Amino acid sequence: MARDPKYDILFEPIQLGPKTLKNRFYQVPHCIGAGSEKPGFQAYHRGMKAEGGWGACCTEYCSIHPESDDTSRVSARIWDEGDVRNLAAMCDKLHEHGALAGIELWYGGPHAPCMESRATPRGPSQIASDFELNIFPRYMDQDDIDTVQQMYVDAALRARDAGFDIVYVYGAHAYLPFQFLSPFYNRRTDKYGGSFENRARFWRESLIKVREAVGDDCAIASRFAVDHLLGPTSIEVGEDGIRFVEYCDDVVDLWDFTVGDIAEWGQNAGPSRFFEENHEAPYTGQIKAGDHTNKPVVGVGRITNPDTMVAIIKSGQYDIIGAARPSISDPFLPNKIDEGRLDDIRECIGCNQCISRWEIGGPPMVCTQNATAGEEYRRGWHPEKFHKADNADKGVLIVGAGPAGMECAMVLGKRGMSAVHLVEAEKEIGGSVNWISQLGHSDGKENLFRGTARGLGEWKRIVNYRQIQLDKLRNVEVHTNSRLTAQDVLEYGAEIVVIATGCHFATDGMNAATHEPIPGADTSLDWQLTPDQVVAGSKKIGKRVLVLENEAYYMGASVAQKLAGEGHEVSLLTQAGDIASYMEYTLEAPMLHRDLHRLGVGIHPYTMVERLEQGVAHAYNVWNPEHKEQFEIDSVVLCTARISNDELYRELKSDKARLEQEGIEAVYVIGGAAAPRMIVDSIFDGHRLAREIDSPHPEMPLPFIRERRLWGETSNDDYLQQLQAASDVASPV
Amino acid sequence: MKIVVCVKQVAALDDEFELREDGLGVDPDSLERDLNEWDSFSLEAALQLREQVGGDGHEVVAVTVGDEEAEDALLGCLARGADRAVRVWDEDVLARGDVLVTARALAAAVSREEPDLVLCGVQSSDAVNGATGTAVAGLLGLPRVAVVKQLEFDSAAGTVTVARELEGGLVERLRIALPALLTIQTGINEPGYATLRAIKQAREKPLEALEPSDLGLDPGELERVAGARLEAMAPPERGAGAEMLEGSPAEQANRILELVRERVTS
Repeated sequence: MARDPKYDILFEPIQLGPKTLKNRFYQVPHCIGAGSEKPGFQAYHRGMKAEGGWGACCTEYCSIHPESDDTSRVSARIWDEGDVRNLAAMCDKLHEHGALAGIELWYGGPHAPCMESRATPRGPSQIASDFELNIFPRYMDQDDIDTVQQMYVDAALRARDAGFDIVYVYGAHAYLPFQFLSPFYNRRTDKYGGSFENRARFWRESLIKVREAVGDDCAIASRFAVDHLLGPTSIEVGEDGIRFVEYCDDVVDLWDFTVGDIAEWGQNAGPSRFFEENHEAPYTGQIKAGDHTNKPVVGVGRITNPDTMVAIIKSGQYDIIGAARPSISDPFLPNKIDEGRLDDIRECIGCNQCISRWEIGGPPMVCTQNATAGEEYRRGWHPEKFHKADNADKGVLIVGAGPAGMECAMVLGKRGMSAVHLVEAEKEIGGSVNWISQLGHSDGKENLFRGTARGLGEWKRIVNYRQIQLDKLRNVEVHTNSRLTAQDVLEYGAEIVVIATGCHFATDGMNAATHEPIPGADTSLDWQLTPDQVVAGSKKIGKRVLVLENEAYYMGASVAQKLAGEGHEVSLLTQAGDIASYMEYTLEAPMLHRDLHRLGVGIHPYTMVERLEQGVAHAYNVWNPEHKEQFEIDSVVLCTARISNDELYRELKSDKARLEQEGIEAVYVIGGAAAPRMIVDSIFDGHRLAREIDSPHPEMPLPFIRERRLWGETSNDDYLQQLQAASDVASPV
Repeated sequence: MKIVVCVKQVAALDDEFELREDGLGVDPDSLERDLNEWDSFSLEAALQLREQVGGDGHEVVAVTVGDEEAEDALLGCLARGADRAVRVWDEDVLARGDVLVTARALAAAVSREEPDLVLCGVQSSDAVNGATGTAVAGLLGLPRVAVVKQLEFDSAAGTVTVARELEGGLVERLRIALPALLTIQTGINEPGYATLRAIKQAREKPLEALEPSDLGLDPGELERVAGARLEAMAPPERGAGAEMLEGSPAEQANRILELVRERVTS
């Protein structure tokens, strides 16, 4: 199908200094966990997006010198010729597809803890990082300033040699140039502090020096938070925000606008439960539309809807649609718009699982919607190409259409299996997503700093995308409202059976803290509930509610938000030091705390329930169990352990002779039915099995390329390729 | 008890499609073919009746007028539990036929079975004539009830009690003696599906392919009964085009209000 002409504007080229961007799709710098030390991961991940139509792709933040070392988080680095060589691989991949390669030159100041290099970061003033723990910079005198600016220049020259087309001087998210600009960090009294011109001097000089060094060959870009969101303490868009753009407009070829800083960068990478599409418009929209720049502007806002993209360009907010998360979720977003295949777009759900892995510090990025993200090189997975399975003649029965089952069925369908039957007990496919997507919404009325408590509604995109794909696959049949017994499965006539029956919450308070049930806990009673029962609305919930969460992610807090928003008095207990610990990693925690505080939810960390009786919960402090506390309650919600629904799997496995007699060659278990886990990992599990359904032992994942250094060898671990599944990505090196 | 279910392999259009060069149909490449949705419900009704009656000697026979590809629909019916299937076709008269021609071929095939009950869908999703079932009843002289949304069989009395929904939510309840023909509405039951084993085993079940002459039908006679002939197919002429509403949500809402008022009052 052809592109709808109303989207033509998205495919018009635009000039960035000496370079031409072929369209308006631009992957802004974002972390993936590759850096310069996993060059295959870096090159193939960015290259996949170039293949999918993105006009430019950038590195993540790229350290210019060992003094700016973000270990244990993974940045790119362009410290030496080795880094040039490794990052050149990414540039080559992008250029193969006509995309531009961008590099985001980064000096973190006190936000770079230098845990590997053991170097001392320099900063404008000696104020400890508000992001790191206990990291102070060394005050920069004029020599230091000259030295660091030379680091930018040297890094820019190396970047040019590596093949980069766009070179950033990165300040946004409150890194060094922004630290000079903002009085929140800069308390200097010399020519680099005080007045606006003085505070802007370091950034402007750095841009000019980099421009002089590589400006003829490369477009010079800068990423700038137009508002720090700290009020008059720092940069505000209506004040120094606009002023800075006007002041440096002559020395950049491209502006990349954001808001906020690294300490609360969920204001920029806004999770969907608090921020809607294009949520930065009130800030970033003021610059271009207010005629404060003559240069092209790129910006983000989890923009997945092509109509929003067109509106953004027409309104003068941005010239170029920037994306980090939407490009991870669907590397082929531009091509799908170009080909008129809008219903094939895999929209980002804004769960921020991708970001969580960077925040954790080391693991490769993951994506809930796109299980192939990060697997392009090491596993050879392509998001849109699937080679026919060697055992495609087999018929497959998948029991359970939750995240794992849907994904497995879709990928097996795309791998050309002769027949795939996805059978679901409930009326709709989607499994737990169907009720989880109704969580996390409080009253939604009040503005929380910037966003609102929107809830997890966008997570329903997990189901929508797969439903549409499954409908299109002629070799896949989906049957709902059909609960299969072991006998049904045995007689189904499938050679391959996949059990994806999910998991359920413990009904007796069994939990990860004590490894025991909680005396008195029994969710069959009308005053005790599991989280899914809260959403189902099948039980009347009293005024005073205690929510116990031992699972460290969103469930307990989301239930508390919902119930408090409905007018209940909620106490939220956890044995951990904070509720919903993992939401720190997904950047949802700050806004979550604002909402819980606003709603008057009582938060009780380091507190565990000892015993429940009607009307009262007996709790204790985990550091001193003699320290007791009683909560008078009407209802209790137990967000404790989850338990696999694996009875069907166990029963089938128990009679191998019968399986053989019925012609069943293999029974696999995936997702929550194998072990409760996050949705992102359930989807991966379903995808992984389908990708490797024709491997010698599909239940065991094949090895992946680790890109480690081999002792005594100068090459890396390419030898593993012989152990790989056939690759859907063109010619891995 | 023998029940004949008349089914049709319908065609669904892709989002974009092209007409055949002769202008008498749609390019088969832009069609997806499937069992007519209504027929899925009438098949299920037949299977449930057979189960209700219980024991041996009862039969559900699926009958279609359609080309070789229509065997997919019949195989689907066999997989779901039909006992036999019959397909009637020729590339000449039937390929060009209208409702009356199709009904005559179906009537001949049905009459050969001497069934107790004939079930048809209310209509087919592609042609949407809503006439074939009624025409078959007419040709066979069978009592018929159209648009049945509820069905009960009284084996002792040899009657069926059916309900049809009328306007305003009124329900008409009728009891009729068998043999009879019913056209079945969607939603009357919850259609089942075939397991992989049943799909494989369906290939072992009897599926007869017949030509009109096998049923004693004379092609010339068939040609003459056609009430209508397809002259040409064409996409609708483009109208003046839509009006795109510009402005703020409030302005757009006001314009919508204006338009609705214009239309309602004019």
